[in-house]
Amino acid sequence: MKRILALVFFITLIWACSSDNGGEVPPADGGTDEPKEEPQEVSFERAPMLVNWADNIIIPAYTDFDSELENLTAAFENFNIDATTTNLIALREAWLTAYTKWQRISMFEIGPAESADFRFSMNTYPTDTDKINAHISSGSYDLTLSSNRASKGFPALDYLINGLGDSDEAIISKYTAPDKEALLTYTQAVLTDMNALTDQVVSDWQGSYRDTFVANDGASATASVDRFVNDYIFYFEKFLRAGKMGIPLGVFSGSPLPQNVEAFHEGEIANMLFLEGLQATQDFFNGKHYASTATGESLASYLDNLNTVKDGEDLKAVINNQLNKAREMVTSLDAFRTEIETNAPPTDMLLAYDEVQRIVPLLKVDMVSAMSISIDFVDADGD
Amino acid sequence: MKKTFLALALATGLFLTSCSSDDNDPPIVAVTPTCDDGIQNGDETDVDCGGSCTPCAIAIDNPSSYTFERDGEVTVSFSGQTTRLKMGDEILEALMDETVSAEKIQAMYAHEEGVADFEDADLNASDKSVRSKTAASADFFSSNATDQALIRADFDGWIRAQVDEVFPNWEVAASAGVAGQIADGSSTRYVSAKGLEYNQAFNKGLIGALTTDQIVNNYLSPAVLDAGTNIEDNDADVVAEGKSYTNMEHKWDEAYGYVYGLNADASNPNADLGADSFLNKYIGRVEGDDDFVGIADEIFQAFKLGRAAIVAKQYDIRDEQAEIIRQKISEIIGIRAVYYLQQAKIPLAQETPAYGSAFHDLSEGYGFIYSLQFTRQPNSDAPYFSKTEVDTFLVDLMADGDNGLWDVTPETLDTIAAAIADRFDFTLAQAAE
Repeated sequence: MKRILALVFFITLIWACSSDNGGEVPPADGGTDEPKEEPQEVSFERAPMLVNWADNIIIPAYTDFDSELENLTAAFENFNIDATTTNLIALREAWLTAYTKWQRISMFEIGPAESADFRFSMNTYPTDTDKINAHISSGSYDLTLSSNRASKGFPALDYLINGLGDSDEAIISKYTAPDKEALLTYTQAVLTDMNALTDQVVSDWQGSYRDTFVANDGASATASVDRFVNDYIFYFEKFLRAGKMGIPLGVFSGSPLPQNVEAFHEGEIANMLFLEGLQATQDFFNGKHYASTATGESLASYLDNLNTVKDGEDLKAVINNQLNKAREMVTSLDAFRTEIETNAPPTDMLLAYDEVQRIVPLLKVDMVSAMSISIDFVDADGD
Repeated sequence: MKKTFLALALATGLFLTSCSSDDNDPPIVAVTPTCDDGIQNGDETDVDCGGSCTPCAIAIDNPSSYTFERDGEVTVSFSGQTTRLKMGDEILEALMDETVSAEKIQAMYAHEEGVADFEDADLNASDKSVRSKTAASADFFSSNATDQALIRADFDGWIRAQVDEVFPNWEVAASAGVAGQIADGSSTRYVSAKGLEYNQAFNKGLIGALTTDQIVNNYLSPAVLDAGTNIEDNDADVVAEGKSYTNMEHKWDEAYGYVYGLNADASNPNADLGADSFLNKYIGRVEGDDDFVGIADEIFQAFKLGRAAIVAKQYDIRDEQAEIIRQKISEIIGIRAVYYLQQAKIPLAQETPAYGSAFHDLSEGYGFIYSLQFTRQPNSDAPYFSKTEVDTFLVDLMADGDNGLWDVTPETLDTIAAAIADRFDFTLAQAAE
């Protein structure tokens, strides 16, 4: 035993001295452990993919969203004039349609959307009901401020049309009470803000940004493809996976947070919104034209072109299969809010979440390494 | 067996020190197996001591947790440090409440016994204050009242500027040259006209000026540990009047308290790193970087062994541990300074620069750079960076244009980060992510 100790001692000593030469730099973390492959002869052109993204997916989706937002605004106008149950239900339907279309464009947080801080401005939830109430009663608010993002957008409307009372009658009574003007004015202001942001983003895309985006067709950290793939994966990881499922499930906090489900006050549609978002990311991956069955150049065809395989399987198929599996799991769930509030732990939803999570490394590791794209975002510091 | 192993570990520690500091040591293979071979042989009564070697020291009983007792009574106490950390957390909250006056925050910072400055009544009753321990170490400031006054004026100034410049613009969108609020991802930050969050400068500045300075330049210093009759008393187990601990034990524990004073179980603090907004939190953050895994345990182990060495009256071992703590805590500050300077480049490089995210990184970085002047190079009486050097960094950081951080360039960030990393035993790349 003593001999062994002595040996350990000497090894320790030798190790200590040899590692203390000062000049030796330990390997930095990140990306150095995988063997660098020779640049392959790749025939894939990135430019047609950018054109397909812009002209057949992004701009049509934005345009459609813009018109649904106009419908929502019109529905509110009717309700503003005559706050009946019928008009409230019509307003909700228009809200739901626009909110669903939003799931098709939320991932496009690049260029005009990034400048406008579009995603956080349109869909920060849980919404801050105390702040909304304070704004309504004070009548003094600037909805363009960063600190007001949790008191506007779709989640604020969710509260204003679903959360002000337990029944339609109770909600209508707020809009017909003597002090209704402040409430109507605030709802109007939320819609005006949403329209202003959307008009800005849509007109920039319909204007010069489309060409800027398409022309930046290189392969570098600042090229459109590299940037957009980062934004796409960031959306998938942080907003679809974490925001819509992981955070309310308590995956990151340790205890479930049902009040953090999307459209909490409505209570039933969070699954549908998630599934729309999931379908949108899958359609984008496959280059499927907006509201059409046609497809064009895409991340999927890019992988095909690179002939990327993972464990002997076509990576494109692996990703699509996993997306399909996740969709099946989520489709079979009850409303997210019900799953979380009635099950402890919410096992079925956690199992579905795990399938959604399994998509992340396929995109964030396998896909980007095949395309030589580096991930430019890190987990936030958290303070 | 356990004892042998401990002594072995200690001897290894001694050798490590000697071989790294002196190239002229005899080659390892030539060490003759006698009083310094790390093996109990000959007539030694333990490893390398007793018999014909020097007498064996009292064995150090290094417990597995930071738990020390005398005659069945706990001897570890650092309530004053816990109190100041709690005061610090309340001050930070006040700096983010735009309805609070500068006088009120200043009174919290320079608390006087019995004044109702805090929510927590125990803090109000305390005679402790954060300001009185800002830049107040024996080694650095006992004969440098000038720098002490200048540094305290910086903290006073950040409070005043937050209230006078930022609070009035709480509901204004910040832009170059205009104080106000700005988005940082889903968070909202409140910055000066030059993009600086004063509350972050204050918070991260206190990590140096309060906690680090008190630990590495005060309580772990022989000037404090060995003051008066501390050594005689500790040698003879003479406890402080009415207490269970010797003065020397208590001084060491007060250093410990500035790191671990708010942990749920302070005897096993690494279980919940992040218990405060000061050193504890950032030891946790650096521990979370793959390049520095283990640093939290190194710091804790050095505190624990040093304390055990005081009980065993082995002051050389104590001082070696103090040097480890000095180096590691200084590294925490250096690593975080470099980290934030480098992280800030990412949001600035976006197609649409995310200024709010960059400013938040840079404001934290600003405070960590400020804190560098309170670090301590081991086996020296100097910080890693002097006050003058720190002041120059901070001027450079804000001087790429008229609007401070709104104009900062990646080149400036790289230059400062490289200069900081150069002086430490870590690389820029290790600290950057």
